[in-house]
Formats: sequence, structure tokens, C-alpha cells
Amino acid sequence: MIRLLVRHEWHVLTSHAVVQLVVFVFVSALLAATLLGVARDVRERATALVFSTSGEIGRGGRPPSLRADAVANERGSLALLPPAPLGALAIGQSDVYSNYFKITARSLDGLVTGDQIEHPLQVASGQFDVAFVILFLYPLLIFAVSFDLTASERDRGTLRMVLSQPVRLREVVAGRMIVRVVLLLVPALVVPLVAGLIAARVEPSYVERALAWSLAVAVYAAVWHGIALIVNAGGRSAPANALVLAGIWLLLVVVGPSTVNLLIGTWYPMPSRVDAAVQARSATQEASVQGSRELGQFLQDHPTSGNVGQEGMRQFALLQAQRDQRVADRLQSVEAAFNDQLARQQRLTSRLSVLSPTMIAQGVLLDVAGTSTHRFEHFRFEAAAFQREWRAYFEPRVLDAATLTPEEYARAPVFTYQDEGTGAMRGRILAPIATLTVLALLLWWAGFRRYEGYQL
Amino acid sequence: MRDAFTIAVKDATETWRDGRFRSAAGLLILLIIAAVAGGVHNQSEIARQHRDAQRAERDVWLEKGDMNPHAAAHYGAFVFKPVQPLSAIDPGLDPFVGVFVFLEAHKQQLARHRPIEDATPTRRLGQLTPASVALVLLPLLIVSLTFSSFAGEREHGTLRPLMAMGISRRSLLTGKALGAMLPLVAIIVPAVVIGAVFVWTNAPADPEAPVAARAVAMLAVYLAHALIWVGLGLAVSARARTQGTALIVLLALWFLNAFVAPPLAMATAKWIDPSPSAIEFAASIQDEKDSWPTWDARVEDLTTRFLDGEFASTMAPSNVEVTALLESEADETALYNRRFDALFAQYARQAHTFERIGTLAPTLAARSLSMAFAGTDEAHDRQFSAAASAYRTQMLTTLNGELAAYGQFNTFDYTRGRDLWEKVPPFDYEVPSAAWALSSRAWSAIVLAGWLVTVSIAAAWSVVSMKVGP
Repeated sequence: MIRLLVRHEWHVLTSHAVVQLVVFVFVSALLAATLLGVARDVRERATALVFSTSGEIGRGGRPPSLRADAVANERGSLALLPPAPLGALAIGQSDVYSNYFKITARSLDGLVTGDQIEHPLQVASGQFDVAFVILFLYPLLIFAVSFDLTASERDRGTLRMVLSQPVRLREVVAGRMIVRVVLLLVPALVVPLVAGLIAARVEPSYVERALAWSLAVAVYAAVWHGIALIVNAGGRSAPANALVLAGIWLLLVVVGPSTVNLLIGTWYPMPSRVDAAVQARSATQEASVQGSRELGQFLQDHPTSGNVGQEGMRQFALLQAQRDQRVADRLQSVEAAFNDQLARQQRLTSRLSVLSPTMIAQGVLLDVAGTSTHRFEHFRFEAAAFQREWRAYFEPRVLDAATLTPEEYARAPVFTYQDEGTGAMRGRILAPIATLTVLALLLWWAGFRRYEGYQL
Repeated sequence: MRDAFTIAVKDATETWRDGRFRSAAGLLILLIIAAVAGGVHNQSEIARQHRDAQRAERDVWLEKGDMNPHAAAHYGAFVFKPVQPLSAIDPGLDPFVGVFVFLEAHKQQLARHRPIEDATPTRRLGQLTPASVALVLLPLLIVSLTFSSFAGEREHGTLRPLMAMGISRRSLLTGKALGAMLPLVAIIVPAVVIGAVFVWTNAPADPEAPVAARAVAMLAVYLAHALIWVGLGLAVSARARTQGTALIVLLALWFLNAFVAPPLAMATAKWIDPSPSAIEFAASIQDEKDSWPTWDARVEDLTTRFLDGEFASTMAPSNVEVTALLESEADETALYNRRFDALFAQYARQAHTFERIGTLAPTLAARSLSMAFAGTDEAHDRQFSAAASAYRTQMLTTLNGELAAYGQFNTFDYTRGRDLWEKVPPFDYEVPSAAWALSSRAWSAIVLAGWLVTVSIAAAWSVVSMKVGP
């Protein structure tokens, strides 16, 4: 019976002008977002290829000087984060965080992050990507096709006629829900994943990530369908349902997240970078002035760099390294305190932000796409490990004021990015997806329960 | 006119008696209070931090003891971006641009530490600000007040009797427009009072900052934008066959304006004028530096020039290195200036395209203007960067000039103290006037005015030509 109902509803719904328009808008938005994303992804992959081949910020090739300090510090090396596996679907945090570090052997430099030069207006305006279409537009369109599940038919009296047939209201409603879910879910999943598959090279993790993405989109949609079901079961007129649903959308997608962000920003402000900069400045003041004075004294004793000799250059390198180390030590305590506080605040705020399905789903989609903060943190961690390796290799040679042999130069460590694997991602998205699933099941259950008391 | 007034009072009373409107209005006022209070709190907190930091930085600069002037240039100076008082109303791009610039020898950098980097990813979903309430939420309330103005009367069959009473279409339009706007007054007036009190009592960091003119201009932008939506709502309601259609059309317009237009306009701007990725930009600078002669070659070249008699005979050979240093410094400054100027010019072109696309979406134009008057848009950020860059040049000229003027002896061991540090004046940033802000976004202002005129005409024409019957 339900199959007959579904088939019938499919015919009715797909011949409805508004529904056709909704599907058209949805598919166009998905296509536009996918094309923009794929174009960006292709460009990023091409750039990554160029720089991962050269291994440094520049066109590559052997440097003009093989002096150890010139190679280790001036030229340095490059730690580059490869483009995200599903970056074409969600730009996420990749317009905020830099995807490369310049690596040097100096303790003071640590990780010299490149400026992220995305236009601030772009970051402020958000990105028109598939994640945006799914998170913002999809729920609205779900409501646009579901605000009138039964209300108009009841008001016209035709619902009674339908129910005089051997069908139950619950089956009629279920049939209508199924058609609406399928109608929008199919393009939501197929358009981006197929286009992404054609355009981007298939990565080993593509299938798993695509599945996780689909699951997240499906449960997110199920939540919104569930909300539509409950509101429809309330027995109001179709326009009243539309207004209530629009209000719910506004509350959960726009007002909710933005209010939570305001509260977080006011009550739990992130520690100030400005304060940290000033603290770091005064903490390192003495060490750097003392170091600079020693270097100045050295230069005074050795007026031109031409006549210091190998031993003199060793002394110079040692003085420089000592100054850097002293400054770095002071800096570390300031930075550690800052980072601790920052991590605490961020944990707290991510807990607070589980107040709207949109906020939950956003985290999951970014994580699956590989453009979440987690991947950038992992990258930073890997780059820091590489910096230690680079430093261990070069520091003795720099302190020795050595000139590298071509073999030594060729043997210098090279950064290769090891992705954290999908296991960690799975672990992080499990709880949010489970939350959304439970929420969807509850909503659907409550919706059908409520329909039992529907006044014809 | 009496008819119009009667209609307005009747409509406004009906709206006011509707519990849904009262709760929506109440919620909106609550959100406005939260947004203003939160905005002012955050703004004053950040402004205080920046003020203190700038003062502490100045002390550190003066108290750093004796050192070589070039070492002092390496020691560098922090410049903190002054926070505009009206960023409490519209933070604009502030969370997305760096909060301070480190000025030093040889290197020029973009402003560092954009607050968005330290925020959780959910921050990307937007933050509630007074500007977002005025430009995103208020229009939605206006849509809910206007979509049924004519379509509803027609659907209920009350439009025909109303016209039969001899009411002119002009009075009808005026009445409906006033009827929709009167309930809004109940929200806008308290909101403006609350906003004004908060902003007024929050003493600005810079007492000379031109706040009043800018605040009035922002208010005018929000009111014009609200009026545009009233006009749009009435025009659509008069043309639409049913209330449902009017509501759907208006909601679609609202969604396009508030959520689709900004990212799509920016995507288009970048598509027309693609900017380099961060690493490509850094590599282009590095490549050019790599093509320069090495330090030794530079010194050698200078020595030859010295022997050829290019410099004064009092210069000792070791001064050649100092001169080499100054020359390489000048080359680097020129390189960074050129590259950053090109990047900023590209940003400006993208922002220009973004603004032009705003012609199609009034909310986009209003947003550009709101940010401009708040002093938090791209043009103001550029203005600050230019000031910081000029300050860097001034600082380096003072320090390196001292080194060059010292004359005949080896100058690396030459140290100076506080008297020289004092010659570098503290950084003082003059905030541009409201007129400058307006001129930088003149297009948006014209667009907003154009929309206001167009929707007024469209509403009048729709009502004049509308069908009375279903």
C-alpha cells in the first residue's frame, strides 16, 4: 500500500510548479557551488604540486651559497599541507589558516607562518560552497516543500475522502514524507559527490569520506524533515505552518548560532593576542638586548665580515644561537600560558555551540571534508616535528660555520605530510552524527505520535 | 489623507493586537539590546587593550637602552590598530583583519593575528551584531508585516468593498505603508535610544574620532534600507495573486539579499580578478630576492664604486658595508612596497566589483555603507595599513639616516640611546572623516538611494495597476 501511496504522491508532487521551482533552485545552487569548489580545488592542487616539487618558497634549485646558515635559515625549507580530500565541497577554515610554514633551524623562528592573504571581505562574507547550500538552503527548501503535508487537503475536505479508502492517515503521511525526503536528498548527495569525483583525483580516503559526508547530510536533513512533520501534525493551516517553520529556521540557523557566538565572545572572550604580544615583548626584552649587545661587541672587535675567519664566524654563530635560545625560552612560557587559555576557551565554546543542528552539522561536514581546524592543528604538529628534525640536522653545521657539501645538501630532511588518517576523523564525528540521528528519530516519532490526534 | 490615516491606524492596531507580532517584536528588541550591549562591551574591551598595548610598547621602545640604530630597526616596533567606537554597532571586517603590525627592518608584513583565527569554527556562521539585526532580521519582520497588505485583503474579498468606498489608490498605498511602518516605530525608536545611550556612555578611545556624523549616517542607512523593504513588500503584495505567493517571493528575495548575495558577489569578484594564493604571493617575493646579487657581490660592487670615486673620500672602506646595508634595505623596502601595493590594488579591485554587484542587492549596498561609516571596511583597513607603512618608513629613515650621517668610522659599533629613540614619534593614526567614508563608498550610497526611489515608484505603480478582484 505504501508503495502505491509513494508513487501517487511522487506524481502529484513533481507536477507541482512550486516544487519544480524548489528542485530547480536546489540543483542550480548545488551545481554552482560544486563548480566553484571544484575550480578552486583544481587550482589548489596545481599550486601544491609546484611547491611540493620545489620543496621551498621559491622556484627551487640549488641555492647560490651552500653556507650552512644560509641554507638552514635564510633559504629554509617548506612544510606544505596538501589540499583537503573533499576540499571542493567545503572551504571551511582553509581561508583562515595558512597551508604552509617556512621552516628554519633558528630556535627563535619556530614556525614562521605565512600570511593567509584571502581577502578579508571574502572571509567575512562566507563562501558559496556545497556546505553552505546544505547547511543554510537545504533546510529552508525542505520546509518549502513540506509546509503543506495535509493542511490544505484537510481544509478543502479532500483528506476525508482519501481516508475513506482503506488507508490510514499515518501511511498517507509516511508516503508523503518519503517522497519529500527522496526528492531533495538525491540531488543533495549526487550532484556534489559525482562532480567532485569527476574533477578531483580520487584519494584513498575518498570513498569513506564520501560515505561519511552522505550520512551527515542525510541525518541533518532528517532532523529538518522531522521538525516539518511535527509542525504539520499541529493541525494549523498551511500559511500558519509556513510562518512557524520559517521562524524555526530563522531561530536555529541564523539567530541561534549568531547569538551563541555573541554570548561566547562576550562571556568567554578568547585571550587577547595584543596582551600576549606586549607580554612577550617585555619578557624577551632583556634577553634580546643583552644578546644584541654581545653581538655588537663582537662586530666591534671584528669590523668587517671579511676578516673574522672561520673561528670568528663560529663565535658569531654561537652568540647568535645563544641569544635566540634565551629569547625563545622566555617566549615559550608566555606562549604556553596563552595557548593553554586559548585551548580551554575553545573547548568550552565548542561545547556551548551544540545548541543548533546547523552548528553540529557544520563541524561534521568540515571535519569530513578535511578543512576543519583539526586538520590544520595536525599539520602544525607535523610541521613542528619537522622543524626539530631540520634543526637537529643543521644546528651543528651552523655552529661550525660550515659550508655544506653537495651530498650534505642533498641529504637534508624533506617534509612529507602524514595525514592523521580517517580513524581520528571517525572518532570525532561519531558523537555528533549519533546526536543528530537520535534527534531525528525522536522528532519523527513525536511527529507521527502527534499525527494520531490530527483533527480532520 | 484622512482615509490613509484611518487605514494605517486600523492596520497598525491589527498588527499590534496580533500576539505573534508582539512576541516577534519583543524578541527583536531583546536581540538588539543583547547585540548592542555585547558589541559595546567587546569594543571597549578591545579598544582598552589596544590603547594600553600601544602605551606599553612606547615605553619598551624608549627604555630599550643603548644599541646600534640598525639593531634598533631590527628590534622593531608594534603598531596596534585603533578600534573605532562604532565598531560596536558594525564590527564589519575587524574580526577578519590583523590587530597589529610589526614594523621592522628588511621585512614588511601584513597585520598579524586576525581574531577569527582564534575563534571556534562556528563563528563562521555569523555573529549577532546591531548591524546584522538591522540589515538581516528587521527586513524579515517587515516582510511579515507587508506581504498580506494587498494580497490578503484581495484574498479575503475585502479589497473590493474598500475601493468601493471611494478611497483613492494613493491613499490606500499611503495607508498601507504607514500601517506597516507604525508598528516598526515601536521597535526602531527604542532600539535607536538604546544604541545611542550605549555608544554615548562608552567613551571613545580617541576623543577626536568623528563619531556623531558617522553614527547619524549609519542610522540613515538602516532607515533607508528598512524603507526599501517596506516598498518591496508592498509592491510584491500588490502584484502577487495570493498571500502565499507574496510571502514566498519576499522570503526568496530576503534570503538572496542576506545570505546568497555576499558570498556569491565575492566569488564573482575573485573569478573576474583571481588573486594569488598565500604561498604564491610569498614565492613571488622570494624569487625576486633570489635574483639579487649576494651580500658579498654587493659589497664588492660597492667597493669598486667607492674606488671609482662615487662616494666622498672621507668614507673608510668599512663604511662600504654600511652603505651596502642601506642599499639592500632600500631595495627590500621597494620590493615589499611594490608587491603589497599590487596585492592591495587587487583587493581594492575585488572590493570594487563586490560593490558594483551590490547594485542588484540593496542589502549588500547597505552593508557596504554601514561598514564604511563604522570605519570597519576594507578602505579603512587599507588606510590604517598605509599609515603603518608610512610610519615604518619614517622610523627606518630616522634610524638608518643616523647611521649614515655618523660619518667616517666603522658604524656597526656605533650605539645610541634614548635621545635617538625619542626622535621617532609615537604612532598616531588619524581616523578619516564621515565625508571621506561616504566618498569611498559613493556608489553604494547612490545604489541605496536608487533602490529607494525605484521601489517607491514600483510600489505606486503596482498599486495603481493592481487587480481588485481575485
